[in-house]
This record gives sequence, structure tokens and C-alpha cells, in this order.
Amino acid sequence: MSDNQLSTYIPSEPATARSRLIKPAILAGLVVIIALLPLLLGSPYLLHILILTLIYIIAAVSLRTITISGQFPLAHGAFMGIGAYLAGMASKHLGWSPWLTIPLAALVTMGIGMLIGYPFARLRALYYALGSLFFGIGVVYIIQAGGTWTGGYSGLTGIHPMFGGSKTAYYYFFLGLAIVSLLALYRFEFSRIGTNLKAIAQSHLVASSVGINEGWFRVLAVGVGCFFAGLAGAGYAHYNMVLSPASFNFMATLWLVMYVLIGGIDSFAGPIVGTIILILIPEFARGLKEYSPFLSAVLLLIVVYLMPKGLVSLPSLVRAWYSERRKGKKIAHVSGN
Amino acid sequence: MFLEIKGLTKQFGGLTAVNRFDMYVSEGEIVGLIGPNGAGKTTLFNLITGVLRPTKGRVIFDGEDITGKKAHIVAQRGIGRTFQLNPLFANFTVLENVSASFHLHPKSSLFDIYFSTKTYRRNEAYILEQSLEILKLVGLEKVKDELAKNLPHGYQKMLGIARALAVKPKLLLLDEPIAGMNPDEIDFTMTGIRKTRQQGTTIVVVEHNMMIMNLCDRVVVINFGQKVAEGTPEEVRKNQEVIQAYFGGEHAA
Amino acid sequence: MALVVATVTNLLILSSMYIVVALGFAFLFNMLGIPNFAHGAIYMLGGYIGLALISAVGINQWVALILTAVVVGAFGLFLERFCFRPFVGDFNRIVMICVAVIVILQTGVNIIAGTQILSLPPFALGILKVGPASVSYERIVTFAIGAVLLGIIIWFVNRTKWGKQMQAISQDRLGASLQGINVHRVSALASFIGCALAAIAGCLIGAYLNLGPFMGDFMLVKVLILAILAGAGSISGIFIAGLILGTLDSALPVLISGAAGDAIAVGIVVVLMLIRPQGFFGHEVEM
Repeated sequence: MSDNQLSTYIPSEPATARSRLIKPAILAGLVVIIALLPLLLGSPYLLHILILTLIYIIAAVSLRTITISGQFPLAHGAFMGIGAYLAGMASKHLGWSPWLTIPLAALVTMGIGMLIGYPFARLRALYYALGSLFFGIGVVYIIQAGGTWTGGYSGLTGIHPMFGGSKTAYYYFFLGLAIVSLLALYRFEFSRIGTNLKAIAQSHLVASSVGINEGWFRVLAVGVGCFFAGLAGAGYAHYNMVLSPASFNFMATLWLVMYVLIGGIDSFAGPIVGTIILILIPEFARGLKEYSPFLSAVLLLIVVYLMPKGLVSLPSLVRAWYSERRKGKKIAHVSGN
Repeated sequence: MFLEIKGLTKQFGGLTAVNRFDMYVSEGEIVGLIGPNGAGKTTLFNLITGVLRPTKGRVIFDGEDITGKKAHIVAQRGIGRTFQLNPLFANFTVLENVSASFHLHPKSSLFDIYFSTKTYRRNEAYILEQSLEILKLVGLEKVKDELAKNLPHGYQKMLGIARALAVKPKLLLLDEPIAGMNPDEIDFTMTGIRKTRQQGTTIVVVEHNMMIMNLCDRVVVINFGQKVAEGTPEEVRKNQEVIQAYFGGEHAA
Repeated sequence: MALVVATVTNLLILSSMYIVVALGFAFLFNMLGIPNFAHGAIYMLGGYIGLALISAVGINQWVALILTAVVVGAFGLFLERFCFRPFVGDFNRIVMICVAVIVILQTGVNIIAGTQILSLPPFALGILKVGPASVSYERIVTFAIGAVLLGIIIWFVNRTKWGKQMQAISQDRLGASLQGINVHRVSALASFIGCALAAIAGCLIGAYLNLGPFMGDFMLVKVLILAILAGAGSISGIFIAGLILGTLDSALPVLISGAAGDAIAVGIVVVLMLIRPQGFFGHEVEM
């Protein structure tokens, strides 16, 4: 392609030897910082925010995993709630250990997700989204109607904590959980399973004509996503020790959706970035108190109008803008200005 | 009889798109399916491959009744197809389009895939090799890393055929494979179709373009969802009056 | 007896309000495939603006009603032009914009009005006695306004040029524009009307019950249920679904307490969606 041709396709830069070193170096540095965070930060409140961030990262990334198959579920908050309440109830009413309730809750949530996902899988994207929305609302109602089992409107209390309540211990626990979850979800997406899901999303006609069972793969994606949503919820239950149905309602789902969309739905790191930014903003804007949601909303609008691919696309947008400027200077130079 | 279609009927509400259609295809044949727009050719393909469920009638392939079976099962049985409007995996590269289509052969289990076992890696290497072979066959190896949506139209149609070949089909259904191609591409495709048949694949081709008839052993003419004529290309061509009536005297270039 | 009268009048009011708001939502949904998730927040906004006009500026409540409708309708024009029109078909972006609008409106209302329980002054006072039964004039008037609005909508959609163009667009957007219908202008008008309707309903419910920054969430769920069950392009479907939902919402709480009833209602909706996702009366939405 000659230089004169206008191209809307921006090819990604080839990896030079130098850039190959930079990425792992940054990663290594981040790893060290993250591992030592509890020591670097004095305050248990900051640790609390970090722990919540880790929990929501697991939920947001797993939400995005479902969307790879082309379906957009609007019930992820509710699935977190299912996991949370299952673990919470098992802990409170049956006295089971968190090491038992958390994985079991995740598995059952996965099962429920697949059971519901199966009849919904054949719906068109819009109807799938709305159907899952209603399902999520129904789940909250069921929790509210649960009487002494779920604690109803006022919530579930008396869930057993872990590690004697030590925030530092919780931090490392959720850090480990998040790393394992992210690795698992990453592998899921970048294996042939993920390829099949992306194929289904692009053309379900073609996908089925090459033998991909779209129904089964869609349900699988939902199942995996719900497993980690339940995992995150169950972990939250044992951390917070108290659950309220309002934490898992439609708005909760919408916030998760926003974490994914603001960060960038096309990239694996997108939800991670989105979660971190959207949780940190209200914290740095503490002075603004009740005005802080405005900030998140404005950020949302900026992403919609200026950065459709989400915040993760910022580096490449900046790079493209730079190279356009350089091109402009080159042309001006050549034409003797 | 390799493929047998008996009394196939499809009704959409009040509209009968395919009406008591009978057809057979013998192994190793190239059969042409000709008819004007809206005659029901694509609907027929959709009925055979499980995209649509027939209202009545049966489809029997290689001794098995596959009527109404889902599309991915039909693909498993060995039927591959291209699509008229040629949808592709638009955001995948050309190579990815073909390698993604190797889902069935060889088939790795979910466990193998997820944990990247030796079996999986072996299969993936084999798939990569085979994909490059197919791309060479259809002449697309030079653009293997281009995004499918950036390809010019003719290349995209080739990609559609390449994708269908990845299924290692015993029966290949081509829906208007040369529509929109220039004469060189048409030659190339026709040669490719002949080569594929030589390798033992049975082929059914739907086309407007009369040139396809030269390839075919037999031709079936369909209009208004019904079989109108059948025979060797010469016989059907002699049935000019019938064809003229349906095509309104139009001869494809 | 009194319970029956109360339930029936409640049913009529709820149904008519659900239908009015849902129709406003359905206009944009049917024509452009835009699910305006912020419609509930707009309904809520209407209620609060109405209250602000009445109590802060001191206008007569009927005038305030009309003024609110105009103001919120204008906001609807803004939304359609700058927030929806550029992104028709892009579900992700529309969801994001709607969430942003919801958050901005809810936060704004929260800050200005706080969590106190507010309500508009009733639109009519006194009680009507018919034999052994008695009904408050407020209920009668509220329902009457709702009925009048519905009548106007039906007349507008079926008898006016604009309404028929709206129907044409919702059946075949491309074909309608090829026929010379200015889709942009009709959509703008539809958005204005839809938001104005929601605002009026917000004021009415704000008087009949009370206001709250999250009343929009509640209404949004009802609206979505109606729009989905009815299907695109069907006004009568929304009427029927609205009546059924209004009945359920009035009768169920009497029979089954609290959230269990809600859960059952939503459960029924989910099952219905699985049976016939494109709705029972209209057709599929073209996004």
C-alpha cells in the first residue's frame, strides 16, 4: 500500500526487540508493587477498596467472557448475588467452612446459569439481553421474598469470616483468587474454545456450517461466566459477612456492564482497566461526596463519544494521532513550507 | 444414491417456497441446480443443511435420514456448503477463517483444548498445515494475514469455498460460487471445482450463470419451488423453450 | 367492598400509567430499535420538575403539568438528536449513554431533593359517594387524565399524518425513508411526545403516590415488560399487556404479600419471553 492511500485500517506495530522487553519489565514491576501493597499502604480502608476491586475485576472479566459469544447478558449482578447468598446461607445455616461454600456456590451458580442459559441461547441478542434483565430482577425478588432463609429485605447477617478477619490476609486471598480466575478466563478465551465463540459471534450460520454447535458453546460461555460471578459473590459474602439484596440488583449489573464497556469490550484487559478506574474515581473524588457519580457518568460519555473501543484503546488512539501529526509535518516539509 | 431428497416441502405461513421437491445425487457427480431468482434454490440448500426445518418430506444422505437435523450435525455427517451472500468471520484473518473451520477434523475434546495437551497441540499444528494447503489451493496464501472484511469481493468468495473445504466434505453444496467474479476468477474456480470432484467430493452447484452447466454431469431446473426439468446439460439446454420461458430469453454472459 | 373499589381504581390508574409511559418508550423502540433505558429516569424527572414548578415557582399545578411535559419533551428532543440518532444499531453505546443519563438524573435529583419523601399536591380533592362505595376524586381525575392521554395517542397514531408515518417507519424503516418520509423529523417528534407523556405520568403518580429518585427504576421494569410482551409495532398489544400487568400489580399484593408476588410476576414474564420473544402482538424489532 503506497503512502498516498488513505487507510482506515491502522495496523498494529510490529514487535521490535525493545518493545518486547518493555512489556515484561512493566509487568514485573507491577507484580512487585501489587504483591507488596498491604505493606506500602498503611490504611485498612485502602486495602478494603483494593479487595472490592479484585472481587469486581473477577466479575467484570467473567461478564466480558460471556459477551465473546455475541450475547450480552444483563444479569451478572444477580449471578453474583446467587453465589453470595448460596455461600452465605450455607455458612450461616449449615456452618460450612468458606473453603467449602465458596467453590460449591460457584459451581451451583454455574449450573443455574447454564440451566437458564440453555433456553435463552437461541434468542436474538436484544431479546437475550432483555430476558436476562428480567431474570436478574426476578432473582432479587426471590431473595427478598426468602424470609428467614435469605434474610429478606433487611439482608443476611452472620456469615462466617475468614482468616480471623485480617484485611491483609483477605487481600492476598482475593489477589490469588483473581490471578487464578484471570488465568483461567484468559486460557478459555485464547484457546480454540474462544475461537469458536468468536466465530459464532461473527456468523452463527457459518459457524454451524462447519460443525460448531452454537447452542452448546453459548451455554458453555454463560456457564463459565456465571461460575466466576458466583465465585466473586461467594468471596464477597465471606468478606463482608453481611449481604443485602440491593447489592445485586439491576443497578449493580449495570455498573458491571459499565466497567466492561468503559474499559473496552474488545480486549481482555478492558474490564480490568474499567473496574479499577470506576472504583478509584469515587475514592479520589471523596471531596465531591455525592457528586462523584457525575464523574463516572461523564467518563462514560467521554468513552461513548471519543473512545468507542474503551479506555484500553487510549494508547493506540494517541499513537495514531501522533503519527497523523508527523505525517502532516512531513508533507508540509516536502512541499517546501 | 448418495443424496436423496423426497417430497421436500417448506411453507412459510401462506407461502410455499419449496413444493414436493424430489432429487437425487449419485456419489462423485457434479449436479447443477438452476433456476431464476426466488425459485427456491437457497431455501433448498437451507433445508438440506438444517438451517431450516422442512414442513414435509425427507432428506437422506449416505444412507442416513438427516431430515430436520441441526446444522452442525449435518456438517458432522460430511456436508459442507457455501452461502449466497457469503458471510464470513469478518474480523478474523483469512488464515483464521480457514483454521477456525477445522473444528471437526480433527476434533479435540474440551479437556484437550483447555489444558493444551499434546493431542491438542498436535491437532492444532496439523490444522495450521492443512489450512495453508487449502489457501494455496484456492490461491489465497498471499493474503493469509489480511482481515477477511478487507478482502475484495472475489477473494471473499474464494475464502468461502476454502472454508467449506475445511470440513472435508463428502458432499459440497455451492451456492452461486461464481457470482460477482471476473472471468479469470471464474476459470480458476471452475478448475478448482473439477479438482475437488476428482478428489472424490460430490458437488451440487446452484447458479444463474450458464457456464456452470459445462461442469455438470446433470442439471436440475427448479422454479417456484418445484422441479421443472432434469437431465444432462445438453438435454436441458435443448429444453430451451422451457428455460426461455423462465429466464425470459436472458442468457448469462 | 371498599377493598374491591380501591383495588379496581388502583388497577385502572396503574394500568393507564404503565401504558402511557410504555407507549412513549415504544415509539423509539419500534421505529429505531432503540431501547431507551433512561425512560424510567425521564418519568422520574418529570415528577420532580413538576413539583419544582409548583412549589418553588408557585405555578398552578395544571399549568405546571403542561410546562413539565414541554420541558421534558424538549429534553427528549435533545436525547434523540445527540445521544440516540448517531448510534442507531449500536446496542453497547446506547446502553452506555442510557446508564450515563440515568446516573446523571438520579444523582442530580438526589442532591437537590435528597431522600425526603416528597409528593405533588393532589390534582383533585374530595370523595365521591356512589351508594355504599366511595372513591376519591383524585383517583377519578388521575385515571381520567390517563384515559384522555391514551385517547389522544390512539387518535394521533391512527388518524394523523405523523402517526401514520410513525407506523410506516416501525414496519420498514428503509422503505419508509425511500418513500420520502423524513425519519429524523418523525423520530424527533416521537421522542418529544414520548418523554412528555412520561413526564405527565411522573407528575400524576407523584401526586397519587409519591416521588423518589429511584421511582424510575420501578417504572422502567414495567415499561420493558410491556414493550417486550407486546412486540414491536403493536399499540393494542401494549394496551392489553398493560391491563394485565396493572391487574397483577394491584391484585397480587392483596393476595400474596410483598416480593413473592413480584417474583411470580417477573417469572411469568421470563417464561413468556422464552415462548415468544418477539412479543405476542407485534413483530420483531429491527435494530
